[in-house]
Amino acid sequence: MAAVNHSATEETKKRHKHEGPQKHIVAYIMSLILTLIAFAAVIAGEVNTSFIIFILLMMAGLQVFVQMGFWMHMKDKGHTYAIIGILGGIFIAGTMIIMAEFWAWW
Amino acid sequence: MSAHSHVDGQLPHEPEKATLEGRNKVLGFWLFLGAEVVLFGTLFSAFLALRDKVGDGNPTADELFNLSTVAIATFILLTSSLTSVFATQAMHAGKKMAMIWWLVITVLFGLGFLGLEIYEFSEYVHEGHGFTTSAFSSSFYTLVGFHGAHVAFGVLWISIIIGQVLKKGLTVVTAPKVYVSGLYWHFIDVVWVFIFTVVYLMGKVG
Repeated sequence: MAAVNHSATEETKKRHKHEGPQKHIVAYIMSLILTLIAFAAVIAGEVNTSFIIFILLMMAGLQVFVQMGFWMHMKDKGHTYAIIGILGGIFIAGTMIIMAEFWAWW
Repeated sequence: MSAHSHVDGQLPHEPEKATLEGRNKVLGFWLFLGAEVVLFGTLFSAFLALRDKVGDGNPTADELFNLSTVAIATFILLTSSLTSVFATQAMHAGKKMAMIWWLVITVLFGLGFLGLEIYEFSEYVHEGHGFTTSAFSSSFYTLVGFHGAHVAFGVLWISIIIGQVLKKGLTVVTAPKVYVSGLYWHFIDVVWVFIFTVVYLMGKVG
């Protein structure tokens, strides 16, 4: 076993409780509900376009938060560089999207 | 000093982080996902800028899109993301065959999604919405098609990983690949959340 020890980190040495599937099923159901709300808002429609779009973007944002947090483990510790990588991408992508949405047909 | 010489065949907990190479793979993959955010961000920005530019007599988003097809596709991809996370959990528990079955189910859902998308695109072409019909159609096919290409690549990649795990077993070398492909699959699902929101639902709202 000595050969293995050099690679064992603090994280792998301590015993992990193997988490059950409950947390992920909750994330799945939350994603389903958020999706349903978004579809229902469009099907019900007829209210106010900008209000519906606001609801849609809120639901998408929340769903991404749930999925990246739970399924991609971004809420777990040791994900600082993951968050920096994704936020860096979002910064550039967000600049492009704001440009296209508000300034492309100025 | 190979790290995968476990005499008792027992994998460490979180085997994807057990070696420096594994940890580097996960870190590098997160940076790749950051670059993917930029790639899809630019495609989304092109679509947002061009989504009203249909030209004369060409089909608009509202006329084309069928929300029930989109709802089914969304459900399939969301469920495949759940089965993918179950595969990662089975990998953490060291249950190789359970992990492989969850991966197989994930791949099948991915194929189902692709089949639906191919059917959807062929319907659109029949309705006069080709790649070169309008600026809207070009930006639509580029964005949604790029996502579909990512699904197709994921299906291929995960299938190859299933083959490798069957051949070489679940080790500290193969485990990071399983983990990273799971991250990729979730990321594809996250991109789809924005596609069904921005392209389909906002297309219906106007």
